[in-house]
Amino acid sequence: MLIAIVVAITAGASIVIARNVNSILAEKDGLLTSTFFNYATGFSLSAVFLLISSESIKQSYDLMGTVPLWAYLGGLFGVAVVAISNIVTSKISAFYMSLIIFVGQLFTGIIIDYFALGILSIGKVLGGLLVVAGLIYNLYVDK
Amino acid sequence: MYKLFSAFIGVLITIMILLNGVLSQKLGNYSSTFIIHLLGLTLMSFIVIAKKNKISFNKNIPIYLYSGGILGVFTILFNNISFNLLGASLTLALGLLGQSICSLVIDHYGVLGMRISKFKKEKLIGLIIIASGIVIMTIY
Repeated sequence: MLIAIVVAITAGASIVIARNVNSILAEKDGLLTSTFFNYATGFSLSAVFLLISSESIKQSYDLMGTVPLWAYLGGLFGVAVVAISNIVTSKISAFYMSLIIFVGQLFTGIIIDYFALGILSIGKVLGGLLVVAGLIYNLYVDK
Repeated sequence: MYKLFSAFIGVLITIMILLNGVLSQKLGNYSSTFIIHLLGLTLMSFIVIAKKNKISFNKNIPIYLYSGGILGVFTILFNNISFNLLGASLTLALGLLGQSICSLVIDHYGVLGMRISKFKKEKLIGLIIIASGIVIMTIY
């Protein structure tokens, strides 16, 4: 249990470190180079993980046709995320960036849930508004 | 302006997670991670070729600056492990805690050459409000 908690917290920290490392590389070597290397190294490691995992490559390959085509667009959204993050990361505080991204995720999630599933989570809306309120307060303190 | 960009990144991430989730449900976590990176690398290769950009490994740059993609794969792996053991909402909340702590350290000490913005005590009030919001979301 404790290990799982540490793993979850480390997952969050790794997002921020990756974003910062990528943006410094982008400043030194250019946006395209940094984004390209992010995918080149990520691709290599994910290939290693796939090979040592218990997943059958043949089975996945056979199933690929059954997945709707739009589900494959996630990878392209990922490229946009990495590229835009490379530009923004060095410009604003890491903490505000993390929080604003979270708020963007949260309210997009609430909107998708509402229109796709007809669910409106009051807890998420209320919690989200509190996060925004705390964020605005701290931004005000910084000014 | 950059704050707006950050919010837009959040929008993109949500759609990305949704789409990647469908892929990993059908094909498995590791197969989908591989395919997502393959597609990303293919797209980047096209852009690099189209722009006639020369990609070269720069030996003068410290090697750890090339670790972003490696870390990204570990993020997915760790999230998968946590998701199986703790469930979705706790994984999300703890991940956000990890992001916050890591970001505050980077801001305060200017780690990795980032601009320093020191932590002020007044900001604790804002942090408590933010934390309570996240707790409400997680419990509810």
